[in-house]
This record gives sequence, structure tokens and C-alpha cells, in this order.
Amino acid sequence: MIIFWICIGSIILLLFWVIFIYNALVALRNEVKNAWKQIDVQLKRRHDLIPNLVSVVKAYMQHERDTFEKVTLARSKALSAAGVHEKALAENSLTQALHGLFAVIENYPVLRSNENAMHLQEELTTTENRIAFSRQLYNDLAANLATKIEIFPNNIVASLFSFSKAEFFTADEADRILPSAETGIRIK
Amino acid sequence: MPLTYIDIEKQKTWRIGVFFLILLFMYFCVTLALFYGVLLFIFPFHFIKSGSLMTGNPIHLLVIFLFSLAIAAMHFWFSASGAVQSVIKNLGAMAPDPEDGMHRRLMDVMNEIHVVTGDKRKMECRVIPSLSMNAIAVSDLKGNSAIAITEGLLSRLTRSQTEAVMAHEAYHILSGDCMEATVATSIFGMYAAMIEKLQNLGEDDRRGLHPAFFMFWILLKLSQLLSMFISREREYRADAASVRMTRNPLSLAEALHMISRNWRGAGPIGLGLEMLCIMNPRENMLDESEGFWANLMSTHPPIKKRIDVLLGMVRSSIADLEAREDRETKKVSSFADADPHYYAFGPDKQWKGPLPVAGLAALPWFSPLTWVSSGPGKVVQRASDDAVVSRILNERPDLTGGEVMSLKCPICRQFLFGIPYEKTKVNQCRYCGGILVENSKIPRIIARREKEFGERVKSLAKAMINDNQRRLSIKKLTGADSKAKPHLNCPRCLNTMMRTFYSLAYLVEIDRCGLCNLTWFDKDELEMLQCLIENRITATIGLGGD
Repeated sequence: MIIFWICIGSIILLLFWVIFIYNALVALRNEVKNAWKQIDVQLKRRHDLIPNLVSVVKAYMQHERDTFEKVTLARSKALSAAGVHEKALAENSLTQALHGLFAVIENYPVLRSNENAMHLQEELTTTENRIAFSRQLYNDLAANLATKIEIFPNNIVASLFSFSKAEFFTADEADRILPSAETGIRIK
Repeated sequence: MPLTYIDIEKQKTWRIGVFFLILLFMYFCVTLALFYGVLLFIFPFHFIKSGSLMTGNPIHLLVIFLFSLAIAAMHFWFSASGAVQSVIKNLGAMAPDPEDGMHRRLMDVMNEIHVVTGDKRKMECRVIPSLSMNAIAVSDLKGNSAIAITEGLLSRLTRSQTEAVMAHEAYHILSGDCMEATVATSIFGMYAAMIEKLQNLGEDDRRGLHPAFFMFWILLKLSQLLSMFISREREYRADAASVRMTRNPLSLAEALHMISRNWRGAGPIGLGLEMLCIMNPRENMLDESEGFWANLMSTHPPIKKRIDVLLGMVRSSIADLEAREDRETKKVSSFADADPHYYAFGPDKQWKGPLPVAGLAALPWFSPLTWVSSGPGKVVQRASDDAVVSRILNERPDLTGGEVMSLKCPICRQFLFGIPYEKTKVNQCRYCGGILVENSKIPRIIARREKEFGERVKSLAKAMINDNQRRLSIKKLTGADSKAKPHLNCPRCLNTMMRTFYSLAYLVEIDRCGLCNLTWFDKDELEMLQCLIENRITATIGLGGD
């Protein structure tokens, strides 16, 4: 009789333990999802700002048609990208194209005294930073989730309810190479 | 090990309980003394008969205790819940102005900090109109929190340095470090202010000790003891957290280095707030030393050690940092020389300038056919032929259209134009070159050093300050002004503006409207004032004149 009750008790304990782990995993997964949404918000902000900047700057820099085309092309690729990996790739090349544009703007004193252009550049800089930061947060949380899923007792519960690791938002190997005049932007 | 800012360890806030107990004890003593004083006054014979004051009735003691508990609770609640507002008000900090380029950047940085911390806590940013260099974080029991940065610091930091400093302060808020300090300040700050006043009084007229003085002295010592509770370790932790947020140890090291080499605002940032600052406003030997006593009593670690730790992460050293700073100042000054300035030939047959390209575009009579030159002895050509100037011709219509102000120049009676100046906006008259500025914007204009001054402004400023010093001396001696000019009327309220000097050290003549808080600078006067303050030029003649 006592053995029976001990069995019942331990089963209930086990159940509570599983529920506890399950809930913790769900909470973390939702945080990761939320962090991903935040990246999306910032990316959208960037995509909306780019046409404005290009139209303001274009009037001054007729000779830099190349740079604009790169930015516009990278933007349209980024808009149509779906999924973590593809998005990360497209956004990375857009970042590179934008940095090229910023470098060109630095060479035009007329633009530096144009309030509108400077305002837009500041807007874009802050958006770039926010993207980097929200990506940092997302990756931190994704790493957290991965650890939680892989460590010992949790991995049983995780495989039971098929929790999966979140994909990191990282740069592709090819993108890590510094951009040069020949390679330009790489889009796969 | 925590992985994100969301699971930042909470600092223990039991110290706030200690503050409350100290407060309670104080009120208890005061009420007890008052109670027996009143009893002694009303029934003197009763006490003489019984022979002792200390026949403490437990019911009396309980009532006194409850009474003091109620007062202490009220005091605690009122000062602790509105702490952020009161500290901000004491510092004179204002909300950033979205019109202003620098302030907009600060707001953007603040938003970025919110993103990196996962938006867990709403933090506001404030700007302190002071030339000193410091930043301060406050938060209170109600969950309000704010980061305040001085105009001086904001103007000198680059974007990434601002970010590093703000991240450092944000950690103090998120970890709850600054809550106890803010609460302590707002509870005891009232007494600290009183003590400072009493000390001043004592020095002036009386040598004797006021009876109340002793009690306040004890309170002052008590509030100084509070700093023992505050560990200097937390500054290291905040530095580390800042690096983890921004992934940029170098910027933080540069910012700290810059702050340590400048005035940190010992005067305006009052007693008790030091521990909230990024760096102690007072020069303090204790801060720069180590050992048991220093660790116990000091609120900030040695600055050199903080910078060393940060630079260790990027394998750099302070010598490297200083070398880089020097190089950068050189680069900035050579760049300013390269920035083209133009002279334009006006319809009044006069050359106007030197103007930056944007200033040229805003000239009301400027057209593609105007003759321009980039300086004495340079080629004179049509604006449309000049490579740089011709670019601005396209942009010009919307520039003049959008920026005409509703105010008129007090001298020429023409509408003023809003122009960007040191990243903020001022109103300039196109005809006489005078500038109208809101008083609140003057400190930040002086703090910022984007504008470089040529020899012309420098020599003008020197001549003017000597001239004004002589005038002031003559006026003091004879009572008559040798060069009185007609007074101007305020462009907004049309009352007469007050003619005064910016300060007795910087004798720049300005016209000020006390009602509208506007200041009028004649042509070049604002530049001259900036130039005087930046280069620390003072009058070379004494009060007697020469």
C-alpha cells in the first residue's frame, strides 16, 4: 500500500516537474519570437527610410549612380526575403550597400551642410544601430533557448513536445569578406 | 551567468529599509523631546513634585511612536515616490528639444538603449544646461527613471561615446543601484541643503553655535555615512554591462578619459548626488586610492583603473588613447580650414562674407548670376560657374521658403531667418547679421565646439573685450557711458530690451528681453562670445585703464 502511494506521489511530482520545464521553455520561446518581431519592426523602418534618403541625396551626386543602384537593388531583395537565414543574408548586403552610401556622403561638403540630408542620415544611423541591437538581443535569447533545450533533463521534455532551436541571425561566410570594388555586394 | 539584460541580477534594496529606520528614529527623538517639553511647560509643578522627567508612561511612548511612525511614513512616501521629479528639478534638467540636432541624437540613442535592453523599463532622458561634463541616473520607488546628461558632455561626445555613457547609466537603473541613492538623496537632501545654508550664515555674522546646528551636523554625518553602503564595485559592473550592450569598450574608455580631464560640475551637482554620477564631480583623493578604507568610504573606483580594464579588452593603453585624441583634434582643425567659405558681391556693391555654402544660399539676393569668390586673392566668378556653389542653386527655393520666422530683426525691421548653428536653430537677420537666440539655447551653443573661429573673429573679440573693459571702467569712475547706443525693442513683446554684458568676465554686450527670454547678439557677437570662452581670452587691461 505504501509503495503504491509512493509511486503515485512520485508520478505527480514528475508531472509537476515536466509542467514546470514545459512552461519555462514556452516562455522563452515566446520571448525569442517577440525579439524576432522587434527585428522585423526595425527592418521595416529601415526599408521605409531608404527611398527618402536616396531621393534627397540623388540631386547632388549624379556621378554616384552605382552606389544608389546597389542600395535600391539590395533593398528590393531584402523586401522579398523570407525566413531567418535568407533575411539575414539580404539585410547584411543592404547594410554593406548603405555603408558605401554613407562613405560617399561624407565626401560631399554640400550634403553635410544640408539639414534634411543630415537628419535622414541620423535617422538611418539610429535605425542601423537598433537593428544591430535587436539582432543582438534576438541572438542572446536564441542562445539561451538553445542551452535550455540541450541541457540534460530539459532535453527529454523538449524532444517530447518537439521544441526546436531558433536560428541565429548571423552573417554568411561570404559576407564576412570586406567588400571590395570587384566583389561588390554578394547576394545568393 | 546571465545571458541577457533581462536576467540582470537585482541588487538588494534592503538599504532603503535602513533609511526608513533612521528616519523613524529621528522623528521619534524629536517628538519625544517636544512632548516632554510641552508637558514641562504646561504642568511644571507636576514634574518638580515627582522629581523626574523620565517617568515614561508606556502608553505615552506608544502614542509618540505611532505619531512619529506616521510622520516618517509620510515623509518617506512623499520624498521617495516623487524622487525623480525633485532631483531633476533641482538639477534644472529639461526634456530634450526635438528641433535640436544634438538632442534628437540623444533621443535616438535612448531609443536604441531601450531596444538593446529588450524594452523592459521605460527610461527618460533629460539634458542639464551646464557646461560641466557628467551624466547621472535616477530612479524611484514608483518606477520612474531618468538619465540626465549635461550639455557640455553631450556636445563633446561622439555618437558611439554617447551610447556607451547612456548604456552605463541604463545599467544603474536596470539593476536598481541608483534607486537607493536617489531615495537617500531625496530624504536627506532637504537637510543637507539646510546645513549648507546654516554653515554659510555662521561664517557671515555669528561665531556662536546655533542649538539646531548640532542636530543638523549629526544628520550630515549620517548622510555621509550612507556612502559606506554604496559599493564602488558597481561602477565596474556598470562599465562591463555598458560594454556588453554596445560591444564597444574603446568608446566608453574614451568618454571616461575625456570626462576625467574636464570639469565635472562640482558646484551645480549638489550634495548627495555624487554617487549617482558616472564620475564623482569632486576631485577626491579617496577615489583615486585603494585599500580597505578607500573601498569602504568611496563611491567611485579610481578612474585610471576603470579605463585600464576597458582598454585591456581591446589591447590598448592610455598612452595610445591620448595619442589618438591629439591626432583627432589636429584632423578636425585641418578639416575646418578646408571647409570652403565664400564672399558674394551684393546689390549694395559690397562684398558679403565669409559665408559657408549654406549661408550663401540663404542670402535673399543670391542668384546664379551673383559674383562669388572663395577669399581675398582668389578667382571671382559667377555662382553658376563655381563647382561647389552651383550645386546649392537647385536646393535654394525650399530653403528660403520654409525658414522665414515670424519675428523681425530689432534693428532692420525685416523678418529673421532660422538657420542651423552649432546643431541647434537660431534666428539670424540677413541684413545686419545679428542673431536672436532663446536664452535656454545659449549654454548649449557655448558648450558645443563644432564651429571653428578664424583669426578675424579672434582679433575682433580681443579688441572688443578690451574696449568694453575700458568703457566699463570709465563708466564706474565717471558714471557716464562714453558710447551709449539707442536701446532696442524685443521682437516678440516690443518692450525695451535690457542692455547688459554677458558676464563680467566675458564683456560681450547683449540685449536681453526678460519677459520673452530672448537675447539679441549683434553681428559676430555670438561668435566672439564663443571664441572668448573657448580660448579663455580675458581683457588685458586692468580696471584703471591704460
